[in-house]
Amino acid sequence: MKRYLAITATALSVGLLATACSDPGAGGGTQPSGGSGTEAAWPAQDADLDGTTLTIWAAQNSATVPDSVIAAFEESTGATVEVVTIPDPYEQGVQTKVATGDKPDLAFWQPTESSLSALNATTNLQPLEDAPWIEGTTPALQDITGLLDDTRYAALVSSPAVEGVYYNKEVFEANGITDLPTDWDSFLATARELDSAGVTPFYEMGGDRWATQWWIHVQLADAAEDGLWDRINTGEEKFTDETVLGTIETYQGLIDEGLFNDDIATATFEDQGDALLAGDAAMVVQVNSFFGQLQAKADTAELDEKIGFFPISPTGNVGTFIPDQSNALVAFKTGDAGREAASRQLLSFWLGDGYPAFLEEQNTVSLQDGVDSPSTVPQALLSVHDSLGDSVGSMQVSAVANPDLYIFLADMIQGTTTPEQVAQQTQDQFVQLARAQGVEGF
Amino acid sequence: MSASVQERPVIPPSATARPTRRPGAGGSRRARGNHPLWFLVPAFAVLAVFFFLPTLFNFIYALTDWSSFKSEIAFVGTQNFADLISSGTLLASLRITIVYAVLVAVFQNVFGLLLALLLERDTRVNRFARVMFFVPVVMSALAVGYIFQAFLKPDGALNGVLSAVFGTTISIPWLGSTTWTLVVVAVIHAWKWMGLSMLIYLAGLKTISEDVLEAARLDGSSAWRTFRDIRFPLLAPAVTFNVATALLGSMNGFDIVQATTGGGPARTTELLNIFIFRTFGQGLFAQATTMSLVLFLVVMVLAFPVIRTLRKREDVL
Repeated sequence: MKRYLAITATALSVGLLATACSDPGAGGGTQPSGGSGTEAAWPAQDADLDGTTLTIWAAQNSATVPDSVIAAFEESTGATVEVVTIPDPYEQGVQTKVATGDKPDLAFWQPTESSLSALNATTNLQPLEDAPWIEGTTPALQDITGLLDDTRYAALVSSPAVEGVYYNKEVFEANGITDLPTDWDSFLATARELDSAGVTPFYEMGGDRWATQWWIHVQLADAAEDGLWDRINTGEEKFTDETVLGTIETYQGLIDEGLFNDDIATATFEDQGDALLAGDAAMVVQVNSFFGQLQAKADTAELDEKIGFFPISPTGNVGTFIPDQSNALVAFKTGDAGREAASRQLLSFWLGDGYPAFLEEQNTVSLQDGVDSPSTVPQALLSVHDSLGDSVGSMQVSAVANPDLYIFLADMIQGTTTPEQVAQQTQDQFVQLARAQGVEGF
Repeated sequence: MSASVQERPVIPPSATARPTRRPGAGGSRRARGNHPLWFLVPAFAVLAVFFFLPTLFNFIYALTDWSSFKSEIAFVGTQNFADLISSGTLLASLRITIVYAVLVAVFQNVFGLLLALLLERDTRVNRFARVMFFVPVVMSALAVGYIFQAFLKPDGALNGVLSAVFGTTISIPWLGSTTWTLVVVAVIHAWKWMGLSMLIYLAGLKTISEDVLEAARLDGSSAWRTFRDIRFPLLAPAVTFNVATALLGSMNGFDIVQATTGGGPARTTELLNIFIFRTFGQGLFAQATTMSLVLFLVVMVLAFPVIRTLRKREDVL
């Protein structure tokens, strides 16, 4: 028996020495490999890539986004590009794979600071300094996102999402509302006016949960401008302090007041789209993917006629932007200099020669000054894009960590927690994440 | 009376077998020759790599700050445990998990036993019914979850049927209650696995000697009495297996609940494994590891008394 124990102990300690306390995700990335060092070389967009195979990870909702770009790129360079769909929840899947050492060449990824640090960008991602497309990008959008510690890690390919109010024009018209709200007070006044006319002013999707946080973000737009997230990032201010807690209480107050749909606790993303399109509710605080859903339900002409968009903030019409995973790509350090260069080449092709066809196929707004948006882009999307220039970053953009605020808010909608508890849970998780990242002050 | 006299000289089979099993020197060598110990090596190697080593790492990583945010892994002592206990979410999830496991154990065994009793006789219809009830066992748990999610939606099939029966529009959000949804998902879990319990109870029922039941019948015992005092106690080994696997297996539950409710509403069905999955997805690998270590320990602590108690019931045999 003793002998077996000794053998087992030896085997285990050898195993531990060989593997313990080393992060498998760190392998191969610690040394800058090939051309991905300080001066990234940017190959010509049509340089020959015969025999090179690139892998792109995409989520279920972004898997077909690159189709036209890939086809043109393969045609032009001879490379082979494979898109691998990672099942939802995408971010968790990618993080887990990367942590165990599995990396693609490129991946769709939310280009915010918190998401980039969640991928350990400095170790795992290629810096995209001096990218050839930056010069042609609309100046206001050049450095709006994709940066971590002043290094560029993500390429923004489509207009980042903006949180704001999608409204049903016909419902507004039928109730005699001609002027769009210009600040938070007039926004609520409009809602109450609609409510007294028997219309459901707001529609929220408490069942699918994730949109609940937009209500907090838009209320924090002014504070965000004023450096709220910097203070939260250093621990100087907390979610439990008046600024954030107050917005949660306001949200709860509006729900209690009956300004939302009756089935707020169970309603889904799908329900929300149907309700706004049918005019069952007048307004929805949402992001671009909501409009994407509407585009699947109705054509451009119908959407132009029915759906409008305006940004909202406490004292004006400032939007809150939140780029998502389908807006941007990151290139991984794979240790293979040839493929790393090819990844950069694909990105510059995407935002270069391949860009007009990409916009055409996606029917979306151009980020490049020299490239026009397709004429078929719906009006609401153009309004969203127009609001981008002076918008402020959401929690995901500006906070060092991204706590599950939306889950805690959904709990509150279900009636199991209070606004104070929501703020406390968010703060606790934020501290936990910040500490894991080694942020100073936590 | 004559029967008992006749029985006495009969030598129990175990007694006759004993001499050859007695470990004499030669016999022992022969036994070893028949079953070389190294035959166990492949099995143990697999067990070591896929069970012992991960379990060991579970203990080690729980004491570190392993995360997706940085490459270095540093030792932090018991900080993860302290954080988890102080936040209270771990205990909430643990409570939900235990309630869920107990509910599943009860439902699965009640359903399984009822089915076994109902389908006990070997008729053609019963054989077909047994197969039908076994189908969910081999179905994908995620598929089961998604089917029930669609079935129980406010505008789902169940409410459609109820509306048709009662002639009014019924739209009950079956998965919307913060109190009862846990019971609903436990029933779904039990529904999926009741075929297996049924099979084991059927096997158990078949082992009960016909003589005993005949004696009970001759003594005028009613069907209920026979079941309560004879058949159920004799089913003890099947009960041990079914209760232990249902209880401890559903402690590790994840797939069905994740597919049906995703932990909602308001995280009232967030089993520990779903919580671990969410924490892991946040990139907090060490914290997630700590939680799974806690789950491992809780399952161990529960397993021993439960199995011991159930085994004690088998002493009647």
